[in-house]
Amino acid sequence: MDAFQGLLTGFQVALSLEGILFVLIGVIVGTLIGMMPGLGPISAIAIMIPITYGMDPAPALVMMAGVYYGAVFGGSTSSILLNAPGISGTVATSFDGYPMAQNGQAGKALAIAAIASFVGGTVSVVLLMLLAPALSSVAISFGPPAYFALMFMGLTAISSLSEGSTIKAMIAAVAGFMVVTIGIDPQTGTQRFTFGNVNLFDGFDFLIIALGLFAVAEVCILVLNRKNRSLSDDQKLGSLRLSKQDLKEMSGPVTRQSFVGFMLGVLPGAGATIASFISYIFEKRIAKNPEEFGKGSIKGIAAPESSNNAATSGAFVPLLSLGIPGSGTTAVMLGAFLVLGVQPGPLLMSDRPEIFWGIIASMYLGNIFLLILNLPLIPYLAKILSIPRPLLISLVIMFSLIGVYSISFNVFDLYMLLVFGALGFAMRIFSFPAPPFILAFILGGMMEQAFRQSMTISNGSLSIFVDTPLPLSLLLISLLSLVIPAFLKWRGNRLAAKQR
Amino acid sequence: MKKTVFASMITVSALAFAGCGSDDTASTGGEGGSFEPSQTIEMVAPAGSGGGWDTTAREVARVFGETGIIDENMTVINREGGGGAIGWAYVHGKEGDPHSMFVASPPLMFVPLNGQSEYGHEDFTPIANMIADYGAFAVREDSEFEDLNDLFDQMKDDPQSITVIGTSAPGSMDHMQFVRIAKAAGVDPTQIKYVSDQEGGALTAVLNGSVDVFSTGVGETIEQVRAGNIKVLGVTAEERMEGEVLSDFPTAIEQGIDESFVNWRGFFGPPNMDQAAVDYYEAKFQELSESDEFAEVRKKYGWNEMYMNSEEYSEFLETEKEEIATLLEEIGLGQ
Repeated sequence: MDAFQGLLTGFQVALSLEGILFVLIGVIVGTLIGMMPGLGPISAIAIMIPITYGMDPAPALVMMAGVYYGAVFGGSTSSILLNAPGISGTVATSFDGYPMAQNGQAGKALAIAAIASFVGGTVSVVLLMLLAPALSSVAISFGPPAYFALMFMGLTAISSLSEGSTIKAMIAAVAGFMVVTIGIDPQTGTQRFTFGNVNLFDGFDFLIIALGLFAVAEVCILVLNRKNRSLSDDQKLGSLRLSKQDLKEMSGPVTRQSFVGFMLGVLPGAGATIASFISYIFEKRIAKNPEEFGKGSIKGIAAPESSNNAATSGAFVPLLSLGIPGSGTTAVMLGAFLVLGVQPGPLLMSDRPEIFWGIIASMYLGNIFLLILNLPLIPYLAKILSIPRPLLISLVIMFSLIGVYSISFNVFDLYMLLVFGALGFAMRIFSFPAPPFILAFILGGMMEQAFRQSMTISNGSLSIFVDTPLPLSLLLISLLSLVIPAFLKWRGNRLAAKQR
Repeated sequence: MKKTVFASMITVSALAFAGCGSDDTASTGGEGGSFEPSQTIEMVAPAGSGGGWDTTAREVARVFGETGIIDENMTVINREGGGGAIGWAYVHGKEGDPHSMFVASPPLMFVPLNGQSEYGHEDFTPIANMIADYGAFAVREDSEFEDLNDLFDQMKDDPQSITVIGTSAPGSMDHMQFVRIAKAAGVDPTQIKYVSDQEGGALTAVLNGSVDVFSTGVGETIEQVRAGNIKVLGVTAEERMEGEVLSDFPTAIEQGIDESFVNWRGFFGPPNMDQAAVDYYEAKFQELSESDEFAEVRKKYGWNEMYMNSEEYSEFLETEKEEIATLLEEIGLGQ
């Protein structure tokens, strides 16, 4: 069965009354869950598994998929409005989304995020449809050395994530590395920095760190800055309208990052969070006006939002075509497949075409629903900002606590949320940037494991990183990305000196 | 169906009222006499949703409810963390509670033996074992190795040339099932190179040739074998398994290596669970294991039937633990 015929089968599933209904339920539940800080697609899908018992697998899985990308779509809302990431994939969105909302352009920021999400989601579904079978070979081409090189490439970006002092950015990054080593070391089974406390054996969930450093720290700052407590209502929302200029500005990043996000989503282990960071950095690097990033740049919202949604569809490539879950969320999805008696893998497309293509077709539909649902909601969502401060602050704290508790149902994690909140607050006071900390935490764990796996495989020889073209080229790109800006700066300085 | 929806509603509301904590008042059943559950039974999966423990717990709770073997509601709750240690500590705190139990498998032995949990199987009350699963050793389809002996011969000549990958940490299941079989074949167990990949990249690393052997559960290999990506050199079962692809997998024993490994899965209660309660559950689990409905479930996931009552289970676990402890000590991992 070729792709076109397959897609027709898929649309038959997706466009049936049942299909439409379940896509709709899925994306609505997903958006709502995504909007609440801390509650992510993992908990949403996990809750729905028992509900789908006995359901026909195709509509059930269409609904689950809808929950997944719906959550990523809706996750930007609280990042933008409250600086409290809805899900880990939208942490990078808060870098520019929150400043823009603070400048009285909340409506615009939400609209940019919605449109970028829609384009990212749609472009990547097209890619998924056309390339899923072919891409499964890309997904498996990355061995441990290539993963190390990829993570290394991401890390070279730390310097570009810093506002002001590079040294402070480096210190923050080192702290991120240190925190990620806490827990049982996967390669030896040794406990590192756990003090024998069983709650630390698995290390920290990313969300605890993200909500602590951003949401809780932000709340502390809000409490301190008692002044400017009331912005007028129209100032808070701002216009929803995007000018032609705005659309033009976001078109480049959205197009590029839809592809970047999709490819990173395809790689097992990379996923929406890493994709959103890399896309953000990518756009900042090539921007003519990188100094605008972090202060409410349109590109700074468009890039991570198109990327994280694209990565979500990308993550379906290894899941559907290889049966390999590339992330925590897709691992739970895999569980949902198995409960419904469907085995994802290389044979899914031929064995159960209605499921394979039904999910893909439903994603077209789902993205359109999401756009239609989200755009008109923006004025109402932005009203969140008019909630009196004391109430708003309590709500953010409450949702952060619920979100963290729902990860593992462990009270210890709640204390850790407060610890990281205090750390984030201290970092803000002493102007240490939080993004390098977060980036080091995300990439550091995988980078270390990939490095040590490579070392075991090669019996300790570093040549494993340069023997094959893939890791070699990734390392060369990272080297160039470090050297070229420094060289340009040096030449610029020299020219300026000559002119003087 | 209604009951499972109800159970999931409990999960939802538990989520919503996260901060409120739980107040499980342990009501002790009849002393010595017969026991009947008088409140909702809490089934703990010491892991997140979607994994093996969670699936087993949920399917068991569902079939108990649907068949009416146990009338009282069963709620599955997830206590994730520390490879199970958090969930075990949680159940350990419910000493004597006859309305609480958890699902377990060999990590309940491996994790404490590696010094990562205060509590091991001997700290709990074994109720019944339900199913058996087996390990498989797979290589890429185009690999030069045709059977386990090819692989092990190469490892005897040049142990540095072969890397084994698995999902669990060193000293845990994927690692030790391989060590156990390889040792029986005459490979020096201290020389085996094992890497762990807990991010879902283990299969990938085998498919792209970064590593040589994938040590995993039989179920994880079926789709890839059907698709012609990998071949299974041997499985750790005692006898050939039944099933479409499964029956093609040769056991290690058939290949002249006299060793096996079973990934058992069963249920345990808190410490000092009342004997009457154990008797009650043991009988119910047996009824479940023999039911057609649960046979369907086993078929769906490719599990094998392996019912053991409380007493048989305890004896089995003791023997297993001794063997594993010796092996861990030999490769320098035991505590």
